[in-house]
Order: sequence, then C-alpha cells, then structure tokens
Amino acid sequence: MAASAARGAMALRTNIGRPVAFVRKIPWTAASGELREHFAQFGHVRKCTVPFDKETGFHKGMGWIHFSSEEELHNALQQENHIIDGVKDLKELNWNSITSTNFIHSDVF
Amino acid sequence: MAALLRPARWLLRAAAAPYLPLSLRLLAGGPGRPHAALCLRAARARPVAGGLLSQARLHSIAAEKKNYLQEEPTSSHRRNASQFDWALMRLDNSVRRTGRIPKTLLQKVFDNTCHSGSAGGNQALLLLRSCGSLLPELKLSERTEFAHKIWDELQKLGTVYDVSHYNALLKVYLQNDHKFSPTDFLAKMEKGNIQPNRVTYQRLIAAYCNMGDIEGASTILGFMKTKDLPVTEAVFSALVTGHARSGDMENAENILTVMKEAGIEPGPDTYLALLNAYAEKGDIDHVKQTLEKVEKSDLYLMDRDLLQIILSFSKAGYPQYVPEILEKITYERRYIPDTMNLILLLVTEKLEDTALQILLACPISRESSQNDFGSFFLRHCVTMNTPAEKLKDYCKKLKEAQLHTSPLQFTLQCALVAQKLDLAKVLMKALKEEGFPIRTHYFWPLLVGHQKEKNVQGIVEVLKGMHEIGVTPDQETYVNYVFPCFDSIKSVRAVLQENGCPHDDNVFSQAELRSKAVNGNLDYILSFLESNTLPFSFSSLRGSLILGFRRSMNINLWSKITELLYKDGRYCQEPPGPTEAVGYFLYNLIDSMSDSEVQAKEEHLRQYFHQLKEMNVKIPENIYRGIRNLLDSYHVPELIKDVNILVEREKTDSRKPSSSDLESKLEKLKAENQPIGDILKQLILMLCSEENMQKALELKAKYESDMVVGGYAALINLCCRHDNAEDALNLKREFDRLDSSAVLDTGKYVRLVKVLGKHGKLQDAINILKEMKEKDVLVKDATVLSFFHILNGAALRGETETVKQLHEAIVTLGLAKPSTTLSSPLVTLYLEKDDLPAALESTIDCYEKYKILPRIHDVLCKLIEKGETELIQKAMDFVSQEQGEMTMLYDLFFAFLQTGNYKEAKKIIEVETLEKLVEMTQKLFECDRDQLYYSLLKLYKVNDDWQKADAVWNKMQEENIIPREKTLRLLAEILRNNNQEVPFDVPELWYEEEKDCPTSLPSPVEVNLQQGLLNACHRRRNKDAFNIFLTAKKQNIVFDNETYARLINLLLMKDNSTQAMQVKDFAETHIKGFTLNDAANSLLIITQVRRDYLKDALTTLKTALDLDQIPSRLAVTRLIQACALKGDTESIHDIQKLVNGLEDSIGLSRMVFINNIALAQIKNNNIDVAIESIENMLTSENQTVDPQYFGLAYLFRKVIEGQLEPALEKISIMAERLANQFAVYKPVTDLFLQLVDSGKVDDARALLQRCGAIAEQMPILLVFCIRNSQRPGKAPVMKSLLELIPELIDKEEAYTCLMKSYVFDNDVTSAKALYESLTAKNVKLNDLFLKRYAVLLKNAGESVPFTEPPESFEFYAKQLKESKETHL
Repeated sequence: MAASAARGAMALRTNIGRPVAFVRKIPWTAASGELREHFAQFGHVRKCTVPFDKETGFHKGMGWIHFSSEEELHNALQQENHIIDGVKDLKELNWNSITSTNFIHSDVF
Repeated sequence: MAALLRPARWLLRAAAAPYLPLSLRLLAGGPGRPHAALCLRAARARPVAGGLLSQARLHSIAAEKKNYLQEEPTSSHRRNASQFDWALMRLDNSVRRTGRIPKTLLQKVFDNTCHSGSAGGNQALLLLRSCGSLLPELKLSERTEFAHKIWDELQKLGTVYDVSHYNALLKVYLQNDHKFSPTDFLAKMEKGNIQPNRVTYQRLIAAYCNMGDIEGASTILGFMKTKDLPVTEAVFSALVTGHARSGDMENAENILTVMKEAGIEPGPDTYLALLNAYAEKGDIDHVKQTLEKVEKSDLYLMDRDLLQIILSFSKAGYPQYVPEILEKITYERRYIPDTMNLILLLVTEKLEDTALQILLACPISRESSQNDFGSFFLRHCVTMNTPAEKLKDYCKKLKEAQLHTSPLQFTLQCALVAQKLDLAKVLMKALKEEGFPIRTHYFWPLLVGHQKEKNVQGIVEVLKGMHEIGVTPDQETYVNYVFPCFDSIKSVRAVLQENGCPHDDNVFSQAELRSKAVNGNLDYILSFLESNTLPFSFSSLRGSLILGFRRSMNINLWSKITELLYKDGRYCQEPPGPTEAVGYFLYNLIDSMSDSEVQAKEEHLRQYFHQLKEMNVKIPENIYRGIRNLLDSYHVPELIKDVNILVEREKTDSRKPSSSDLESKLEKLKAENQPIGDILKQLILMLCSEENMQKALELKAKYESDMVVGGYAALINLCCRHDNAEDALNLKREFDRLDSSAVLDTGKYVRLVKVLGKHGKLQDAINILKEMKEKDVLVKDATVLSFFHILNGAALRGETETVKQLHEAIVTLGLAKPSTTLSSPLVTLYLEKDDLPAALESTIDCYEKYKILPRIHDVLCKLIEKGETELIQKAMDFVSQEQGEMTMLYDLFFAFLQTGNYKEAKKIIEVETLEKLVEMTQKLFECDRDQLYYSLLKLYKVNDDWQKADAVWNKMQEENIIPREKTLRLLAEILRNNNQEVPFDVPELWYEEEKDCPTSLPSPVEVNLQQGLLNACHRRRNKDAFNIFLTAKKQNIVFDNETYARLINLLLMKDNSTQAMQVKDFAETHIKGFTLNDAANSLLIITQVRRDYLKDALTTLKTALDLDQIPSRLAVTRLIQACALKGDTESIHDIQKLVNGLEDSIGLSRMVFINNIALAQIKNNNIDVAIESIENMLTSENQTVDPQYFGLAYLFRKVIEGQLEPALEKISIMAERLANQFAVYKPVTDLFLQLVDSGKVDDARALLQRCGAIAEQMPILLVFCIRNSQRPGKAPVMKSLLELIPELIDKEEAYTCLMKSYVFDNDVTSAKALYESLTAKNVKLNDLFLKRYAVLLKNAGESVPFTEPPESFEFYAKQLKESKETHL
C-alpha cells in the first residue's frame, strides 16, 4: 500500500486554481452548446462538458464550464440565477474553492 | 357503553314485509341497536394514505404475538419480520407521500419477497392489499392480474392463506370492478378449509350488488342470517348500489328507510352509495338534492367522497356534471394526493378530458416560477398513449393555467423516455411551431433503445424522423448511437442509402473519421485526408485527431498527418492560417495528455517535433509559450527546446528589436566605449528565449567582463535545458566568482542538480545541494517533487550511485524528509533491473533508516510474478514483524490482486469471489475502502474491464466513499481507454495535499488497527477486539478515547472485567484525562457486583458520581441488593448518602433502601431493629412514604426464599399488627401475596383467616394479578389466589388476567372451567377475553362454542381501553 502512494506521486501535477464552474440542474433540452452559449456572456469558455449517459441518451443534468480566467468565473458566479431555455434555474458551485473529493461528497452524485 | 362491546349477536328476525323486495324482507326485522353503527366506523376506514398500512401494522403485531405464543422457530420468524419491515417501509412511504404505489415499487417488493424464498402471512397481506385502488396508474384488469400473480406465486412459496387474505383479495376485486363468481370464491375458500367470516360475506354481497345481482346478494344475506352475523351499514350501502344497478332506483332509495327502521342511521357511506347510484344514471338533480340533504344533516362528506361521485359521473359518460361537483370540493391540502390519484385513474380509464378538468380546478399556487404540478398528469397521459393531438392541447392549457412552465418539453421528455417516436415527432413539431429549437440530442434517447436491441430498422426510423423535423445528425449521433448498432461503417452507409435515409456526407465522413480515430487507425485517417474532397473545418477534426494520435504510436503517421493539414489547401488555409491552427493543435494534443503520458512519450514527442521541423512546420510564438508552460508543469522541460525549434521566427514581434539588431547596437556601444551591461543582458535573455545556446555562449565569451548576475542565471538555465552540464557548471563557477553571495532561484538550482547528476557529476550536484542548504534556498513542495523526479529519472536510467548519493545528500542536508515518495527511487533502481533481492533489501533498508516501506507493494508483486517464494516469505516476515500481521495481509492481498492471483488473494481473505470480497470487507476495511477499490480498479485496468470499473464507481457512491483523486483518475483512464464517457470531471492531482498529509495523519497501521478494533466491537467479538488491543499495545500504538471506551464497554458486557480493567489502566496511563463514561461505569458496577467485588463496585460508583455522572438505576440497585444479601448495612447507608439528591435522576425509589436495609439487618440477625424501624416509618406522624405505596414485597420474598423462619414469623406479626392496630393493610396484603406466589398456600390461608381485610384490598390484589398475567408460568399462582379469594372472579380485570395466564400456559382445562363458571354466573364477557379463549381452543384443536370475534387482539384491547375511558 505504501508503494502505491509513490506511484501516485509520479503522476502528480500542480494545477491549482483552474477556473471551472460546476453547473447543476441543466434542463434536458440543453446540451453543451447551449451552455457554452449562455456562459459566453461572462467570458471566454475554454471548454464545456455535459456528459451524456449512453444508457439513456439523456445527460445527467450537470456539467462543467472551464473559463479562461478566475475573473470570468467570478462574473458567472455573481449572477444568482442562470436561466437556460427559459426552463430552470441553474445552480452553480465553484469547483475551484472545493477540492474534487469534497465535492463528490455533496449531493450531486 | 359496555353493552356495545359485547359480541354482536344481533339477529335479524324476518318479518312479513310484503311490499319490500327479497333483500329488504331479509333485512327487515327487530329493533336495531345503535351498536351496529359503531361497528361501521371501523369498516369505513379505507385504504387511503396511511390506512392500508396502519391496518397491516396492527395485523403484524397480532401475528407476531401469535407466533410468540406458538413458539415458532424464532430465526425464520425474525427474518420474515425484518423483510416485512422493509417492504412495509417502502410501501408505507409511498402511500404516505402520494396515496398511491407505483407499479414498479410493488413489483420490486414482490420480486424481493419471491427472491427471499418465503413470505409471511403479513407480507402476503400487504402485497395483496396493495393491488387495488392504490394502483391508479394501472388498468383495473392489470391490477387484478397482478393480485392473482402474487396470490399464486406466494402460494407456491408456501405462504398459508387465512381468511384475512381471502378478504383482502375480495376487497381488491371490489376496488378493481373485477367480475367473478362469488359462489366459486366461496368454494375456493372451502377447498382451502377457510371459514368465511362476516367481512367475507359483506364483501361478497357487495360483489353481487356491484353486478346488480340482488338475488345473489340475498342468498349471502341468508347465509349470514343462519350464522347469526350482524348486518352492518356496509351491507346496506352495498344493497343501495345493488338495487340501483339492477335498475331499481326506488328500492335503492328505500334501503335508507329500512335501515332507519332497523335502527341504523344511514351514514356517509350509505349516502355516498346513493349519490354514486344517481351519478351513474346521470341524475344530477337527485345528486344535488341528496348532497343538500347530507349538508343539512350532521353528516359530512369528505373531498374524497365527492371525488368518488365525479368518478361515477365520468365513467358513466356524464362529464358535463363534473364541474358542479368540483365546485363543492374544498381542496383541503391533505386531499391533494387523492385528487391526483383520481386524475391518474381517469387517465388510465381513458377519461383524460375529465382528468384535465379536475387538474385545472386544483388550487395549486401558481405564482412560483418553478411550478410544474401538472407533470404527473402529462407523464401518465404519455404512458397511457393519449393521442398526440390531445396532449398538445393539454400542454397548451396547462401552460395557460400556469400549471406547468414548459409542458411541451416535459411531455416530449416523457415520450423520449418511453421511446415513443410518433408522439415525440408531433411534440417536436409543436415545439418548432412555437419557435423552440429542436436539438440533435433530443433523438438520442430514441436511438439508445434501438441500439441496445441492434434494431437497424428502428434506427433508420429515427433518422428519418430527424430528417422530417429538419435536424441533421451530428458526429456524436453517428459515433455514439448509430455506428454501434452496425458491424461496419460501410454497412451503415449502405443501409442508410438503401432506406432512402438522407445524410450529410460531410458529417458522416467526419463521424467515420472520428470512430476510426478512436481506434487509433491513423492509416485510415491519413488516406482519408488525402483523398477527401469534402470541405470541412479543421476544428471539427481536431478532437478526433488528438484521440487518434494518442492511441497510436506511429510517429511517422503523426508527422505525415500534421504536414498534410499544414500544407494541404483543403484544411487549414482559411484565417488564421495553418501556423496558428497546427500550433493550437499541438497545444491541445499535449494538454489532453497527462503528465505521466507526456513523460512516457518524451522521446516520441521529440522525434515528432523534429520531423515537423524538417517538414518546415511552424507555430506562433505565443502558442509555443503555452506549450512551454505545459511541459514545465509536466516536469519535462527537456522537451521545451524541441518545441522551440518550431517557432516561427519571421513573425515574432516586429515591434521589438531582433537579436541581430541588439547585437549591432551592442557592438556600436562597445566601439564607443560605453557601458554595455544592460544591453548585453537583454541580448542574452533574448537568445535564451530563442533557445540559441551556441550564440549566447559565444556572446558571453566575447564580453565576459561585462556579464552581470542575471545574464549568468539565464545562461545557466539555458544550458541545463540543453543538457549541457559542462557549460552549466562552468557558468555556475563564473557566477560564483562574480558574486559569491548571489542566489539563484530554486528552480534553477534544481535543474542544475538534475543535469549534473545526469552527467555523472555527482560531487558537483551534491555541492549545489549543499549550497542550497547554506544559502537557505526556499524549498517548496514542488521542489521536493522535483527532487523525486531527479532521483526517479536516475533510477530509471539505472544510475545506482546517482540515486543513492543524491538521496542521501537531500535527506541528510534536511532539504526534504525521507518520505515514501522521495525514497521510492532507491527501490525503483533495482526493480527496473529486475534485481528483486536487492529491491527488497533496499525497501527493508529504508524501513530501518526512515521507518518507511517504499514500493513494498510493487516489490511483492514482482516477487509473486517471479514466484520467489523465499523472498516473499522474507518480505512478509519483515512486514508482519515491523507493522503487524494485519498490514502484512493487506500488502500481500493487494499484491495478489495486482498480479491477478485471485486464488491466493481469495485464500487470504477467504471469500467466494473478488467482488464479494469487496462487499464483505465493507465494514472491515472501512478505514481505507478507497485503497481497496483502487486496487480493484488496477486489476480491472489490467483486464481492460470497463464495465466492472464502472460498477465500482457506482458501488463507491452507494457506500458513500469519497474517492481519492488517483482513484478517479484511474477510473477515468479505464473508461476513456474503452471509449466510454467519463461521468465525472477528472481531477488534477493536487500536489500540496499529498505532501501535507503524511506528517499529520496517523500511520495506516494505526488506522487499520483502530478500525479493526472498532469493527470487532461492533460485531461484539470481544476476543478479537482485545487481541487487537494487545497487538497495538505491544507496538505502543495509542488509539483515541472513544475506541477504548467502546472496547471497555464490550468487555464489560461480555463480563470480562479483568480485561476491561487492563484496557482502562492502559488508557488512563496513555491518554491524559481518560475516563469511562456513564454507561461504561454502570456496566462496570454491574460486572463487579456479579463477580462479588463489592468494594470495587462501590469505588466505581463513587468515581462516577465524582465525575457528575448519573449511574444507571440497575447498577445502583444491584449494588444495594448485593450489599443487603451480605448484611452490609453500612455500605447501603453509604450509597444512600452518595446518591442523596440524585434519586429522581437515577430513578431510585426510597423503598429500595428501606427494603434492603431491613434485609441487611435481618441477615445480621438484627431482626428486631429492622422491624422496629419499618413500624416507626409506617406509624410515625411524618411519614416519608405513603403507606399505600410502602411496598415490602422484595423484603418478604427474600425472607421467604431465604427460609429465614424466625424473621418471617416476626415480620408476619408486624404486618398483622399494622393492619389490626393501625389499619395499614399494604404490608399484610403484600406478605399474603408473596406467600401465595411462593406456593405457601396454607400459610397464606392462615394469614387470610387471621386478617380478613386482605380480601378487601382489591387494588393491591388486582395489580398483583395484572403483573403476574404478564409472565408465563403463573397460572398455578393465579389459580391458588382465586381459590383463596373467590370474590376476585367478579372483577373483570381479574378474570381477564386469569384467562391471559391460562392462555400463556396453554392451560385449556382451567380456561374452560373459568369460562363455564363465568357464563354460569351470566357474566358479560368482553371480546378480548373471548378472542383469547377462542384462540386457545383453536390451537388445542377444540371447537369454539361461540363465534370467534373476527378482529385482531389489538383491536379488542384498544376497544376495551376506550370503553374504560368513556366509563371514567
């Protein structure tokens, strides 16, 4: 067991403060294109992922927006409600302030 | 009121009433008594929210009692009980929340029951009862079918049905309008040897009446008459329905009159039956009249009843009257589920228009923007195949009524989930008309269904549908949802053409390309790009290309493809042009790879860049900088110069001066003899950023005297990047000469160490390290990681001396702690050379030096692979000696897993399969489940089994495990390698976290041991737990407070006080301020008392009280009693003082002290003192205890048990004296009862003769009866008591208790005698009594001489209680 820690360390990569927003409650009608379009108003969206479940053909209502800068992320987080397709609110969590491990512990998965 | 509780023996005496039809003649008869109505209240309870289950629960309690009485094997009973609880909970929740049960849930509970192999009676009842109106989403016939399926399946499983099951089935039939033959049903019951009861008959009558068969109903009524069964309101109500349905409204109405004549006031049920009858005829006038009549009476119809009327109107085809009834509904919140269920039912019955009407009338708050109340309606409409056009209309109406924010989208979603293509198409068209975009992914759910079944035709249909709507399938649609259905992409194209399925060749080709790329087929990609004639943008290709590149290691193909993209007019020629596009592509390629991947492919990438250089491919400088940063963060700066050669020099910063400009400027200044320091530095920096080492070194040589510190620093770094150790070292020396106090930044030092080490200049490298220490260079976490990379690189190159010396220097200089990570290269060195003995030696050496075991897992794996049994033994011996056997087993286990030796791994943990192993270890290993799963995942990676990996992901969520990042990354890797979507964002590893932990966290050994101990405690394995404690103690590992407390509790519970004290002592000496908690101290006292360590127990009590703890009543009482038996009056007095003021908190009665002090005195032969003090207490002016509660039963019993004859005699005299002289009867009665209880009937009789007042102490006697009736084996005592005081039998409580006792002891004879004597006296026996007696007789196989009360024990017990309350 001790050794696998070393193994992990070999793959370590410093990557702190990537400006990523986590988005929940994405209506089923919207996919990454729509999300990207919506969040473009806050800054440059480097990457936008909304994974689809290949078992159902629907996505799971969550996605990640990678902004170019911290500032853009904060622009997006400042807005209280995000409405896409005029359907539902999107609630966001700052991926940044939470480590991924904490995050998975929350009620999302 | 008591009369009401008597068994209903109301007999209908037929009277001549010629004007009435047959049924009414049967009904007509003697004056009814109001009790009939009372029965009916209960009957009115219907299975609505909570109803079903509360009934079932009552039943379950009764059944459990029955089981207890019959002394069934408890284990199976318990299993059934827990299963029942589970099912009950699931269904109960559903009913409570929604008033209905989804079919899937019922199916699940049913399947689970079947799966368990047996079903108890309650469970069967629960399932059957759920098959009626609780399933509004199912067609009536389907519900009955379901009930039958349950009935048959459970019967096969051996469930024994009783009358309750048959009645439940009947109820289901009634609720589902199921047509059946009541006579056949009765025959079936008869065949099953089940006696129908009143409820059965009642329901059979209802069944006939529902069919309008009055004659049939009358036959059953006749049966009931012969059996003397009471006729209830339910029967009358059924008859209302019966007459109405046979077309005879007049007589339907007449029933109410008959009821009144029979003395039963028509209740809401009867009126409801009448109302429904009118509604079925569409007679709104009469409905209204009747409603008014009901309103005027003191009866009250609930919303639920009104909903029923609406249902009748709708089903009979009179929806026009629904609004009038809707008006009357109050819409109380609690009826919302009922309303929803009616709506669902109407949809099921294809009366969706009416359903909508009701839905629209619902007073749901509409302001909220998130109001989607109508969803349930729309979803069910989709399920029930409501016509698409209607649904469209409904959507519109719901939107208008603000009952749904996006009804069309929602309905479409339902249609997609249900894979209803046609409906989906209509809805999408509607959405389109309203201006909503229709997106490609809307069709994916439809494709998924066909893809699973490889249904080509289905896929084609959907694709055609897409075309019809005007949506073009995109790459993803083809790659993810269409292609997997076909054997080859060629055949997809053929099938699409064959079926006239239009497709965009461009997109299709891209999709094909992508799917080839995913498989790493670069040959195909190259030839495609070469032959392609379609115009498509490079950006659409980029993702696929990157995937393809990463899956193929053919660098020549990489380069060829890149060159083609760069140069071919078809691809990257539009602005911003090929330089930008390819540059960005390279950036993305590297960005998409992980650091380890880049490290592993370093040589490949280098080759690639050089080939690109030869092909004259160029990239912009800004993108180069991005790539440089990436490579830096991946710890492969050596690649930077290789990318640098691609930078497009011509275009770089036309604004800034070029290096040649600077150089001429420099020469000019030099010629003018002006200072050139600044411009020289500027030039050097520029050459460095251009990676032009040659030129920079020349320049330095030329103007050496003008060099400044900054210039040297940049040059040193440049040389390091170019792997030029010689010049780097020389420059460093010159740098030092220039300014010996100058400090380089950390990164430059590290790079120097790396390059010097790499070139065998060990001493120089060590000198640099020393300088770092001396100059106090900031060592960050990243620096330590860099050290690791230096060592690891050297280890991989097999440079033994470099690794050893540098490691030694780093550690001894204190630049970094010798962590597992940092030291692992010492082992890697030998692992890479396959020198396993040396690798193991090195690991062990690390342990001896630094108490770490780097790469032990990998060493073990290799040893296992090579079958080095002796070395394995050596390793295991070492690990188990140093870190304990448990750790050794973990290590070995994981190593076996890793190497695929499942059998051996299995042997270690001894479970059936690998997965089971993980399951079974859920509790045991919870300290590091993630690690376990990580190992499993590693195994799955080796086997490339992504499905299992995915399952692990799900299981981890189930178990609420928080996966570490490395686990997530591994999982993502497996999924990606198999072309699966990763359902989570793959985290980047956070260097800091990993580094910061080891110092603060307890070692894994410690955690494992502690967890093991807690688990053992949890499973009550005291021996295991204690052994772990000993192991830990030996290793001087100290756990936390809580762990010790739990261990001590367990040991005490298992009566191991010696061990408990051992743990306590250890904890007290190792944890500051360690104390036992209340519970532990109480347990300790009890254990000490049991072992007769009374002094110790007293000390424990004192300690606990000093800590302000409240010891348990049991503990204190036990201690006092033990002292009393020893005759230790003093200790009892001490305890009394100790707990003074706490008696109430502890729950200690004063009598405990009085009894025990007296007992202690008697034990000490101070009988007189004892008696005197008791007498004083009872006769003095200021009594502390009311004589009525002055219970001395304990004392008397102990004296009798102890055969302390002289004491008994004196006590007896005292008790009699108190009675005769002071009129205090409690002691003498208690004594009398204790004598009876101890079987000294003669003594008791004598006492009674001397003191007749005993027989008058009814409250005391009755309490005695009640207490005794709760214990088994007390029938003889009760019998003796009754013989002594025969008057007791007149008391209801007494004879009830007596019967209870007899039933307990299965004493049929005495019970019979009791029953006979009571009936002879004409005592009115209550139902509970009769029920008990009947069950006793039945169990003994005897016939019951009266009708057994049909309801459960609980029912009658409650009834009895209620009647007593009304009496009061």
